[in-house]
Amino acid sequence: MSNDAPDPILDRAIDELRRLPPVDPVAIRRIVAAAAEARVTAADEPVFVAGSSGRSIRIWSAIGLAAAAAVAGFIVRGAVTTKAPAQVVAQTPVATTTSESLTQVTSSSAESSPILQQFIFENAHAHSVSVVGDFNKWDRSTAPMQRSSDDATWSVIIPIVPGRHIYGYMVDDSLFTLDPRAPKVKDVDLGTEGSVVMVGRP
Amino acid sequence: MTPAPLQRPAPATALDSTTISRAKLGDIDAFTAIVEAYHSRCLRFARAMLRNPDDAEDMVQEAFVRLYRALPRYEERQRFESWLFQILGNCCRTANTAFRRHDARTVDDEVLTRVPSPHTTGSALDNEWGDDVRRALADVPDYNREIFLLHYIEGFAYDEIERMTGIKQSALKMRVKRASDMLRSKLAARYG
Repeated sequence: MSNDAPDPILDRAIDELRRLPPVDPVAIRRIVAAAAEARVTAADEPVFVAGSSGRSIRIWSAIGLAAAAAVAGFIVRGAVTTKAPAQVVAQTPVATTTSESLTQVTSSSAESSPILQQFIFENAHAHSVSVVGDFNKWDRSTAPMQRSSDDATWSVIIPIVPGRHIYGYMVDDSLFTLDPRAPKVKDVDLGTEGSVVMVGRP
Repeated sequence: MTPAPLQRPAPATALDSTTISRAKLGDIDAFTAIVEAYHSRCLRFARAMLRNPDDAEDMVQEAFVRLYRALPRYEERQRFESWLFQILGNCCRTANTAFRRHDARTVDDEVLTRVPSPHTTGSALDNEWGDDVRRALADVPDYNREIFLLHYIEGFAYDEIERMTGIKQSALKMRVKRASDMLRSKLAARYG
């Protein structure tokens, strides 16, 4: 018997299984709301207390300060020679720490406190670049990178909790690009590749 | 013996060509249009895939939330529908593994009575047939059932399923055949 021979019972079963459940507007609204909530907003920012001063800051607000420091670092690098570089500008993502230790208010363990992590990406033609990863819920608006004075290098410093993270760069808000300097891994959930960074304390 | 090749079912709502691009840029209205287009199909797939069909609504929601978060990474050369069902399939497999750990029993009549048929109208005879089909399908092992559903119910070609699952086409065809044979023999015992 040919493979294409009629099979009434199976055909009828397939027809039955193809019947669609009715459209459920309530479920659709619930899903859209859950997805919207899953995005990082300012209100979601964890609060940190810097050192013993007790001043609290929003973590993503600190990104601006860190980015400004990175830009200043690029400028200074070309103009000033110093015997002891204060901050490492790494070729691949490397953890750096501030002079004051940051302690997450909600964390009971130092191991889970975020560590400042610098990302550097070379692209002379991009108009904008941001870091997206599991640490910022793939939200390209939370970690925009700053262009250096050479116009080709982009960088940002962001706090990330220790562990293994998958990330990439979003170029011009539309093109997801892997980090050429980092190992790649396939994201089994989504079937796409991502770059990997291990964030940890020395 | 397997049925003749079937037409690919059309999505419930045709998506505008720019909808996915807009959703990728974070447009929540575009994302809503995607959910509206695919929700019923995803729910149908999840109900048939899950060992505890009560979890279907939650798994569909989980899959759409994951998709929304991952949209910036979506590569447009990849078929969107394949990507969505790849994510949903992963969610369902994870849920089945967790369910098996807590409860090793197979889907029983009690579970089936808690899961409404997708259609609410029709004669009692139709509903009985529908319940028998779903019961027979629930007896098909997960790894065969998923491929059967992707091919015959959701209309994916074997080369697409190969890209989605990483399983070679010859193995996929064997799984569909085994699922078909099992479904047929279960139903033929009563309706043949």
